[in-house]
Amino acid sequence: MRIDASLVAHVARLAALEVTPGEAAELSGELTRIVEHFEALQGLPDDLLAEPGTAFATPLRADVARAARPAVLETNAPESAHGHFVVPRVVSRGE
Amino acid sequence: MTPAEIEALLDGPATALAAAVNAGAVPASELVERALERAARERERLGAFLALTPETARRQARDVARRVAAGEVLPLAGVPLAVKDNINVAGEPSTAGSRILAGFVSPDDATCVARLVAAGCVVVGKANCDEFGMGSSNENSAYGPVRNPWDLSRVPGGSSGGSAAAVASSAAALAIGTDTGGSVRQPAALCGLVGWKPTYGRVSRYGLIAYASSLDQAGALARSVRDAAVAFSVMAGGDERDSTSLSSRVPDVLTGLEVGCEGKRIGVLVEAGAEAGGLHEDVKASFEAAARLFSAKGATVVPISVPRVPLAIPVYYLVATAEASANLARFDGVRYGARVDAPELSSLYRKTRSQGFGAEVKRRILLGTFALSSGYMDAWYGRSMKVRALLSRDFAAAFREVDAILCPTSPEPAFRLGEKTGDPLSMYLADVFTVPASLAGLPAISVPAGFSKEGLPIGMQLIGPHDEEPLLFSLARVLEAGTHASERRPPAP
Repeated sequence: MRIDASLVAHVARLAALEVTPGEAAELSGELTRIVEHFEALQGLPDDLLAEPGTAFATPLRADVARAARPAVLETNAPESAHGHFVVPRVVSRGE
Repeated sequence: MTPAEIEALLDGPATALAAAVNAGAVPASELVERALERAARERERLGAFLALTPETARRQARDVARRVAAGEVLPLAGVPLAVKDNINVAGEPSTAGSRILAGFVSPDDATCVARLVAAGCVVVGKANCDEFGMGSSNENSAYGPVRNPWDLSRVPGGSSGGSAAAVASSAAALAIGTDTGGSVRQPAALCGLVGWKPTYGRVSRYGLIAYASSLDQAGALARSVRDAAVAFSVMAGGDERDSTSLSSRVPDVLTGLEVGCEGKRIGVLVEAGAEAGGLHEDVKASFEAAARLFSAKGATVVPISVPRVPLAIPVYYLVATAEASANLARFDGVRYGARVDAPELSSLYRKTRSQGFGAEVKRRILLGTFALSSGYMDAWYGRSMKVRALLSRDFAAAFREVDAILCPTSPEPAFRLGEKTGDPLSMYLADVFTVPASLAGLPAISVPAGFSKEGLPIGMQLIGPHDEEPLLFSLARVLEAGTHASERRPPAP
């Protein structure tokens, strides 16, 4: 299948990435070549393909909240204040 | 001990170095200074390190000295360790080779690092790597490529290229890396080292910066099979901080290391001989010689087919990139790393990610997002997972016939820097022999087995059933003793 520039742009939006029209054209060629090579997967008869079994079941642990470590936040956050991450305002007055 | 004797110790096996430290023949504090000098040299010459960690190293060396003085015997006492930059070392930077993590400082040690340090290792630096472990040549690091110590015009392999270059150049006696689709084994092969990945879950992933969680595993690179086996015995074991880690008893890889291969059935991978792009003729010669060696040493060597091996590249590059697209969503300029400021949150995310990630990482995020997107998921990601299950069944059937499978680690020796960078697909195809074991969660080890006519190292890979690391290390030892390939070292700087 062909991954054209408009599909590249769509996927880039989903992935929160910016691509210029020039980059989209280049990526279209690269990704199409890759996916065409991968089409070998489509040739397998369906009766060979059982559902993925328990071999891939991921063991889960309880989702337990742990105390944040303020020093970690202060060391690594691009911007923080009062123990919180600071980001641009997302809600304006009156909204 | 004279300065020359100390240098010889740093060039030799990690286990011999540890024995000298345990015996009090050389102080850990002296060794660490010489090791840091070497690491600084190879950071400059090969690009092997992104950061040196002198304060951490000296503190750890003091701890080793104190414990040895108190009578403790540590399996890796004073051993200089290089840690791939996508594995956390407390208080030190971890960039994973990416601009987007510039300035990130690890809050704590990865479990595998903590275990190695507890066994006496001294971390001398953070090793260069392909960005987020995505690459087969170490040319995708945002901080520059790594050069192969055997030939500076060639790649060391990837993505753990800095780890491999550090050990091959004797800047470290041991290194750890991550292996998602071959990122420990392939650079080990290209740099003349032993490199292993464990059974999935045998080594904790806690403290590894995730790329593809159902495939990522930590492994080690060493100059001898015994050093590699000691590293396994230290790193392996359950960990409550990684729910996928195995809590079952860790297999003993040291007791039977010298048992040989008599009576074992070794399968020569049929699909390796029929490799579409063709095996490099020197790799093919080493492959055939390795099979003859096992036969001469008493193993039964038979051809074995794992029919879906040729499909492993498409499966791997769809599953791994799909998982990467989810794992790398966390890098958005809010909680850690670099930020590109913008007036709106959504454009802050986009600008940070677009400027922070390199070209290959973006390509893989896009491929993985495509494979998971509405309208395409069943045909691409869904089908890949079904073929992955089929590949696992292929391996299970093969292991009813043979005890282990032999194949080259890489279809060719180290290629030249820049040779494949313009063609992502040709770079992906270099992983053809390493991704199958990753997809099936199987343990595998690469062992030096010969040299090309140009004098470049060639590695052979042994793949075993789950939890058969003891068999793999003992077979690796047969190859090491029979080929003597590990005895040759790269040209001195």
